[in-house]
Amino acid sequence: MKSLFISFFTLLLTINAGSATSGDAAAGEARYGVNCFICHGQKGKGMASYPKLAGKPVPYLIEKLEAYRAGTRIGPNSDLMIMNAEPLTDDEIANLAAYLSSVKSN
Amino acid sequence: MRIKLLALMVSAVAFIATSAHAGHHATSSAVVPEITQTAVMTGLENPWDVALLDDGTMFYTEKCKGVSVRMPNGDVHALYGMKDTSGYASMGADLHCTNQAGMLGLAVDPDFAKNRRIYVASASTKYHGDGCKTNFERCDGNIVMRMEVSKNFKSVSNRTDIVKDIQFKPFESNHPFGGNGAHNGNRPTFGPEGWLWITTGDRHRGVCPQSPTLICGKVLRIDTDGNAHPGNNPPAGFDKRIYTYGHRNVQGIAFRADGAAFTAEHGPWHNDELTMLVKGGNGGWDPQQNVGGRGDCPDEYCGYMPNQKKGVIPAIRAAYMPMSDTRFADLMPPAWQNNGYSQGTSSIDFLQGKQWGMYEGRAVVGIMGIAFGGTPAGMRLDVYDIAEDGQSIKSVIHLPVETKRYRGVTMGPDGAIYANTDEGEIYKITAK
Repeated sequence: MKSLFISFFTLLLTINAGSATSGDAAAGEARYGVNCFICHGQKGKGMASYPKLAGKPVPYLIEKLEAYRAGTRIGPNSDLMIMNAEPLTDDEIANLAAYLSSVKSN
Repeated sequence: MRIKLLALMVSAVAFIATSAHAGHHATSSAVVPEITQTAVMTGLENPWDVALLDDGTMFYTEKCKGVSVRMPNGDVHALYGMKDTSGYASMGADLHCTNQAGMLGLAVDPDFAKNRRIYVASASTKYHGDGCKTNFERCDGNIVMRMEVSKNFKSVSNRTDIVKDIQFKPFESNHPFGGNGAHNGNRPTFGPEGWLWITTGDRHRGVCPQSPTLICGKVLRIDTDGNAHPGNNPPAGFDKRIYTYGHRNVQGIAFRADGAAFTAEHGPWHNDELTMLVKGGNGGWDPQQNVGGRGDCPDEYCGYMPNQKKGVIPAIRAAYMPMSDTRFADLMPPAWQNNGYSQGTSSIDFLQGKQWGMYEGRAVVGIMGIAFGGTPAGMRLDVYDIAEDGQSIKSVIHLPVETKRYRGVTMGPDGAIYANTDEGEIYKITAK
């Protein structure tokens, strides 16, 4: 019984972990359209001194967004990104990553 | 892509505003033009500036690639590339891009039919010399080149660097947007009298805009060999090429029908400005530390203070670090400031031709705007009716065009605006 409980608990954890990282690309596109596009351009193509995000791997995007959300500086535009990432939820980060990684880079 | 919009509400407001005044453009009618926007080129990489010949031949720069020309039949010739590019007829290994810097503005000689000359501004490593070792010293890292275009428009030759000492920021600093290559200005334009005007940025160096000798935070007026206009009248001890000083980062300059020069200038999270230039005048930007009531600032540059890493009410920033500091007796007050906001005014030109109806003679300005710290996004073209004395505006409307980051606006010989966007397009915007 104890092992069955542990297995069930592990399964729940796995499902939760999966939902936190797989993301909903459609929801991510909607969130991207709120304000991310203003710097990073339509479909994450990048423009001016704001980098291209389209086609980047999901883990890369999540790592960077979580770092900015935590206040970590990465590059000269960090102040902008930290301010914009601070209010993002785990789900929004996962959704944004799912959307951006799904966009062709060219 | 093609849109047609008739902005009835905007028109009504603009009509009321205009009919109440008779300005310098008395020939303009009360007709609100119908605006059409058509993409001429797409898929470009950060097109930064456009210049056209009378037959529609269009030169354009891409910030990290080079200068090209689009012929009237649509053919494109890549003329002169930057370091590590390919596909160009020739290239300059000294030309590079980083963050805001790269190949930026260009201008076509008014006598192009005879001399085939174009003028291109770019970041360059060629004249660094013993400088550029820190952010606190001279760094001659932006240049203006003169080139001659071949008769078949497939190549350029005889590159001559006519300005070699526009200042450049070599290293990252402790500021927002603090990457190297910040604030270059670099929009060369010919004035109506045939002299070349060049805008420069403060390159995040506190002493630059008010410096008599460093070419940064200035507007220059020179001949096509790089010599000062004899009628420039900067203060004693200043470089004679300087027409005005005390600027932050002028990326837009254009001339009204009466010859008056106007700049469009980014504000530092507050107060974008349009300013009528006065020979020898001071734009009033002085981001030095320990002046104007300020103390020490990060890396000796107060441009984003106070509390530069956090949102601050723009009016508080403006009081601490004004765009147009009234300490200066030779201050050129702006005709317009953006209701206290900074949304990235990038470029300016004046609408010419009766097809523009009531907008004829008014200034069209690109507003890039990234929405930051409570400031609304820009991403639009605005049309300003500037008072004849250049000290105020009578009205402003949003032109009914797509939401884009408009880096450049250029009045074409066919009476249309050519607007280039950071998204990679060049649009033709017509009125009828």
